[in-house]
Amino acid sequence: MGTLKSVDQFLNIRLDNIKVSDPDRFPHMMAIKNCFIRGSVVRYVQMPTGAVDTQLLEDATRREAKDNKK
Amino acid sequence: MDSAEVSTAVNEPLDLVKLSLSERVFIKLRGDRTVQGVLHAYDAHMNLILSDVEETITLVDVGDDGAVSNVRSVARNMEMLFVRGDAVIMVRPLLLYLCISNIMTKISSCFAQISPIR
Amino acid sequence: MSAISSFVNQQVQVILYDGRVIVGKLMGFDVRANIILADSVEREFSEDEGVEMVPLGLYMIKGDNVAMIGEIDTDKDATIDYSSIRAPPLNDIRF
Repeated sequence: MGTLKSVDQFLNIRLDNIKVSDPDRFPHMMAIKNCFIRGSVVRYVQMPTGAVDTQLLEDATRREAKDNKK
Repeated sequence: MDSAEVSTAVNEPLDLVKLSLSERVFIKLRGDRTVQGVLHAYDAHMNLILSDVEETITLVDVGDDGAVSNVRSVARNMEMLFVRGDAVIMVRPLLLYLCISNIMTKISSCFAQISPIR
Repeated sequence: MSAISSFVNQQVQVILYDGRVIVGKLMGFDVRANIILADSVEREFSEDEGVEMVPLGLYMIKGDNVAMIGEIDTDKDATIDYSSIRAPPLNDIRF
């Protein structure tokens, strides 16, 4: 968990002020504050609903699907 | 979005995914995981954005002899989720009308075939 | 890749695809996330004993093996008694 600072073309992620969700099970990253995560190791990104405009996403997806067909 | 632009024809696999936008879908993922949620976005890599998500992970114990026992599943909920396309195996629409419209198309094509006979 | 640039000359912790944890000073990187670590130390986590620190020295790690690069809060790191931490090693990354 942390603040998403940037994402690049490979979906590599920069997270700042991170917190490990289950520190008892994973104490391996206790001393880390900011981190870079390789896109290829990501399974999910969870985010707050309020930060996402779903209508915008759906319209953009339909537009992209249409453009890809041409 | 102009309504004229919205086509409901399924000509290629991704059209089925397109028709599922803003609908509930069931997704099978690698690593014995499934998710259900409302689909808001996808791309050619099958990266997805879903809301109101329930994830189910299936766990098994495998003995030294390879015997599988104690199959169980754990579920968790997430409000908004990005799923990386690498993990996606299968996307299934959960909406009934797609299946129904499919059947209707078949029925109407049957009628089209028999109607000239009179 | 500018996401890593702020970590240069800092103490970083790298987690590799096979689950190994390596700590060192980040000397440099490139677009493929190939990295150079100076005075690196592997931290071997174990359920039975505390974290074992294995000195490795100067390392170049190929980007393909890197899962995560984390900037270490050195003040916080200094307060942690790693000899008392018991945790299984991280799993390798697979789908």
